[in-house]
Amino acid sequence: MTSMTSTSSSPWHFFGYFLDHRSQDLSWLWTHAWLSVVPVIIGLLIALPLGWLSRRYGWLYPPMVSITGLLYTIPSIALFVLVPPLLGLSSLNPVQVPIALTVYSVALLVRVVADGLASVPDEVNQAATAIGYGGVRRLFAVELPIAVPVIAAGLRVATVSNVSMVAIAGTIGMSNLGQLFQLGKDLSTPTAYYPPIVLGIVLCVLLALVLDGLIILLTRVLTPWRRAVPSR
Amino acid sequence: MKHKFLIAGATAAALALTLSACGSSSSTSGSGGGTIASKLIMGGPPEFKTRVDGLPGLAKNYGVSFGKYTVTDTGGPVTVNALKNGQVDAADLFTTDPSIAANGFVILTDPKANFAAQNILPIINKAKATAGVTSTLNALSAKLDTAGLGALMVKVVTDKQDTDAVAKGWLSDQGLATTGTAASGVKLTIGSANFPENALLAQIYGEALKDQGATIKYKLNIGSREKYVPALKDGTVDLMPEYNGSILQYLDPHASATAPDAVLAALQKVLPSNLIVLNQSSAADSDAIVVTKATAAKYHLTSIADLAKK
Amino acid sequence: MIGQVFSWLTDSAHWTDTPIDTGIATQLLAHIRFSLIAVGIAAAIALPLGLLIGHTRRATFLVAGANALRSLPSVGLLVLLTVLIAPHFYGRTDIGYVIPTEIVLVLLAVPPILSNTYAGVDNVSPAVTDAAKGMGMTERQILFGVELPCSLPLIFSGLRSATLQVIATATIASFVPLGGLGRFIYDGLQQQDYPQMISGGVLVAALAMAADLLLALIQRSVVSRGLSGRFSRAVVVTSTSERTEVEAG
Repeated sequence: MTSMTSTSSSPWHFFGYFLDHRSQDLSWLWTHAWLSVVPVIIGLLIALPLGWLSRRYGWLYPPMVSITGLLYTIPSIALFVLVPPLLGLSSLNPVQVPIALTVYSVALLVRVVADGLASVPDEVNQAATAIGYGGVRRLFAVELPIAVPVIAAGLRVATVSNVSMVAIAGTIGMSNLGQLFQLGKDLSTPTAYYPPIVLGIVLCVLLALVLDGLIILLTRVLTPWRRAVPSR
Repeated sequence: MKHKFLIAGATAAALALTLSACGSSSSTSGSGGGTIASKLIMGGPPEFKTRVDGLPGLAKNYGVSFGKYTVTDTGGPVTVNALKNGQVDAADLFTTDPSIAANGFVILTDPKANFAAQNILPIINKAKATAGVTSTLNALSAKLDTAGLGALMVKVVTDKQDTDAVAKGWLSDQGLATTGTAASGVKLTIGSANFPENALLAQIYGEALKDQGATIKYKLNIGSREKYVPALKDGTVDLMPEYNGSILQYLDPHASATAPDAVLAALQKVLPSNLIVLNQSSAADSDAIVVTKATAAKYHLTSIADLAKK
Repeated sequence: MIGQVFSWLTDSAHWTDTPIDTGIATQLLAHIRFSLIAVGIAAAIALPLGLLIGHTRRATFLVAGANALRSLPSVGLLVLLTVLIAPHFYGRTDIGYVIPTEIVLVLLAVPPILSNTYAGVDNVSPAVTDAAKGMGMTERQILFGVELPCSLPLIFSGLRSATLQVIATATIASFVPLGGLGRFIYDGLQQQDYPQMISGGVLVAALAMAADLLLALIQRSVVSRGLSGRFSRAVVVTSTSERTEVEAG
């Protein structure tokens, strides 16, 4: 058995712990990554039309922002557990996590999309209209690309906070890196058992940094004009 | 304007001080009676407040009501630490928990059997209980006993060995790690409650069935019984290691059986139609009211009934 | 379901303490206490630091560093700190659990306050500060008399978002044996008592909204009308667009 090597309780043993439980940890990491990313993508797809609407019809902005802001105040643990009975799912159905996180992503991104579209200078819109860009074409060819930096900033916040919230779901039986925290806590008697806890934190932070980096990279690719201007 | 800002800050600070002053003084002056229990703080999982064999059972069977109840966790490190360091005086722990011996805690006896017999047995979806699955699980239940389980728990909790490795080790030690085809073609999702012993038992079941050709998926650390029994009913989980007394009381709050065989017989009658239980092992692990050595000495406690004395 | 939640919340027995159950009133106070302490400490750290970094334009890496804190998983950190700290406190005290919880909440509240304060000061138009210099104001006077008041809208937006996050996250205090409104959520979860659990969630959301409203009122009375009149709509825009620059920078 490999177990003899994994019995050190030192916090620095987390890498050894990882090596001993590679396949389990990697599968949790993989699930964790999916659970963090997919809700942001779906959330963005929902937030785009909502954000556009509240930009297009100014009177919609305040109610839209306050309602979505309201959703953000629901504690994540409550939302995770609420989703199954509300949608008639089994209480262990793993779909509850992405559904709850999608709600948060929409809550955050509606405002970001609206603000992003608002950040497009009026002159630019007027110029686009002047050279014959209609409403929809102007939105996709001019306004959205210019709004990319603001929207991307929102995506980064949503993704990074999702990584942390998915871990909370791990403590109520969902399979992801949060299970490492539950495991470490359960085994911390009579003496503390740090390796799984530290490993969970390290993997969560690494995952958040990698996803964050990917969004930055994607933003660069989507906004070639920004590189022409020296940043300050 | 600067002043306004300062005033707002000062108000907030004053408010914080007031709040922290009034919130932290949670004294132990519980509702009277003057019993020993009324001077003590009890710690345990949230569901212990409402469970039939939890606080309601202690009150009914022994007339014990604690001065205060603090929610800790399900027999985990928070409960152990709170008891050890004096945040609580009595705690709900599991009898197989190695921390009890490690910390010199005293288990109070339960003469009126508030906690029913808690023999470990598999609860399984009828559709998945093929002859091969049944014989495999019955064979290992026959070998599982309390002392053996306690030794396994020391490996898992104290020595921090992996539950799957400990499970495999035990199976091979018992000569149960034989490969075969008894369960081939069966697909099972095995669940466990949110404490290490249950996860270990789930993996003992799982590894034995895997050796017999079954396809196993684990859903470990699901949570409390209130959460996983619905999952067993709706088929999300096919197999769980259970404790016969607890599951009986969960399914039938009025159950009065306490001896192992009577419990099993009563349990058979109240199981949901899609579930059955297989043979029970002699290994038992029940909830227990545990106090520190010092508390036991101070109040001369040996049994739960002593808590109701003045 | 809504009816059950409503009757749970309006049941007076749920508001008062019994030896077994701690009532809503006490838990609400505990929740406010955890949140106030956390936001207070975070503000005491992040406000001066943000003002200083924004004024001197030095050590801006600290802002980026604080933003990296956002990637720390709160539950993991809480478990780690609890396992590390709690065993060292003996007797009738929950301080061994309060310290880990407050550390987690403070780490959560620092990034939004710090980055918004920094962005607020950094955003003050050079023309304004130059004019102040021209009038003979000292660096100190410029910081407190010009830059601070001008950046208040952004500072408040940071404070408000920190407060919201802290109040929503303070529920995890109940993952370790502390009170707060999270107690209803975790207890309801374990007892599979949905009305209790949802009520807990509703109370947290209501508290968050009340706190936000209070801060909005304070903001209105503290922020110069010259600023709020003109920037009431633009604040929102700057706060998010500014974040891009802060984090990308």
